[in-house]
Amino acid sequence: MKVLIVCSGGMSSAIVVKAIEKEAARQDIKITVKAVGTGEVEDELKNGWGLLLVAPQVRHRLDELKAKAGTCEIPVALIPPQGYTPFGGAMVLDEILKHMV
Amino acid sequence: MYKLFELLEKYLIPVMTKLSEQRHLQAIRDGIISTIPLIIVGSFFMIIAFPPVPALAALVKPYAAEILLPFRMTMGLMALYACHSIGYHLAKSYRLDGVAGGLLAMAAFLLTSVPVNTGEQGLALLMSNLGGGGMFVAILMALFAVEVLRFAKERKLTIRMPEGVPDSVARSFEALIPAALILPLVWLVRDVAGFDIQHFVMSLFQPLVLAGNSLVGILVPIVLITLLWATGIHGDSVVGTVARPIWLVLLDQNIAAAASGQPIPNIGPEPFFQWFVWIGGSGATIGLVLLMLVSRSPYLRSVGKATLLPGICNINEPVIFGVPVMLNPLLFVPFLVGPVVVGTLTYFAMSLELVTKPYILVPWTLPGPIGAYLATGGDWRASVLVIINIIIVTGIYFPFFRAYEQKLMKEAETTREDLT
Repeated sequence: MKVLIVCSGGMSSAIVVKAIEKEAARQDIKITVKAVGTGEVEDELKNGWGLLLVAPQVRHRLDELKAKAGTCEIPVALIPPQGYTPFGGAMVLDEILKHMV
Repeated sequence: MYKLFELLEKYLIPVMTKLSEQRHLQAIRDGIISTIPLIIVGSFFMIIAFPPVPALAALVKPYAAEILLPFRMTMGLMALYACHSIGYHLAKSYRLDGVAGGLLAMAAFLLTSVPVNTGEQGLALLMSNLGGGGMFVAILMALFAVEVLRFAKERKLTIRMPEGVPDSVARSFEALIPAALILPLVWLVRDVAGFDIQHFVMSLFQPLVLAGNSLVGILVPIVLITLLWATGIHGDSVVGTVARPIWLVLLDQNIAAAASGQPIPNIGPEPFFQWFVWIGGSGATIGLVLLMLVSRSPYLRSVGKATLLPGICNINEPVIFGVPVMLNPLLFVPFLVGPVVVGTLTYFAMSLELVTKPYILVPWTLPGPIGAYLATGGDWRASVLVIINIIIVTGIYFPFFRAYEQKLMKEAETTREDLT
């Protein structure tokens, strides 16, 4: 499973990436997670991702991001605000697993 | 208080969303952001040319002009770089050739300048039109050029290559007719009719630049950014879409003054907010993080520990979503009032010249006192002011933090009672 996370600059989502990776390792789930900013997301989406997660603070651009992911046929999910913290790993991983079918 | 959040969700956010999704504004924002690395590295040469240590300053003084060249070729030509990358991003957003968009934008912008004849050395372009002073012209010309490119494409005014011609070659011909429209048009207006586009646009935007430098012009972005963040929306990126060109013009005027030894004119470029107001992130949440470290609530203490390092680097999403500050009526008050108070204080400290006005763009992830020191070209009083501001915001957060802490502990207790 390859998951791309988009936030404003790719800075804060890096913290969430760590939390997800830690939780995935604990549950013994193989996953690749990468963080990008809204400026790079369009190009990055072409590199074969399975899911695009949108950080809560850029949710006002959800429609636009959905359109961009739609052209590459990548599903999009919003990270719940409570999940977007260093302790949110388990919550976001649950969200990711929901899309893993 | 919840009513207020509802109102924000209903009125402010849709407007701001429209604004940040608007195609042209988005191209301007992305285009300007692409130039930031050049501006950051270029303006570091200012610090090297004018080091804050007097002994060093005397040593490098004879070479200052040479040391400043990388700065002049980056920051000094900021509008030219921005113009190209705005054209690129706008063209990409229309699914047109990005490079063609960038090049046409640059050509349209350069044509608004008239070279000066230096005699023996030939013609020379004035750099003053290509730096911050030309920013708004660069933006408008980039939008104009790409709109012509789009118009030509939509009306099929392109030269079609026979099949078998490689895509890249065919694409390069797509810009031929747009170029044949743009260049004569700008030339007719600027050189034949003699209409000084540069001067006209600059005087048109002058009131905005003046406003951006007043106390009101500083408080409006502070309030808007904190209101947006209070509902969990990235306020800086939304407000910056509109404000960043103005902030860059203010910064350019400051740095140009500093480079020529003049007094620094402007208080309000972006580093003002970055280093003196958004300490620890938007909402000056460093005060909240410090309080959490010594909290009686185990939950808040653990959030404090986890958010200290990111907070020192001015990353505070973990604070905003973890505490949470978002949609939290108790913490909303200091989250808004703290930045307004320290912003106002800093404004007066700078207008009374107690602290140097910021003129250097440094990476925003540096710890506050260090960033402020570098942004002011090495003024230690700037670091002291940042520490005073941290103490003030911590004090403003304190009573609200205590109330929230008590609420959390009471809730924890009742859930424990429910369990037993």
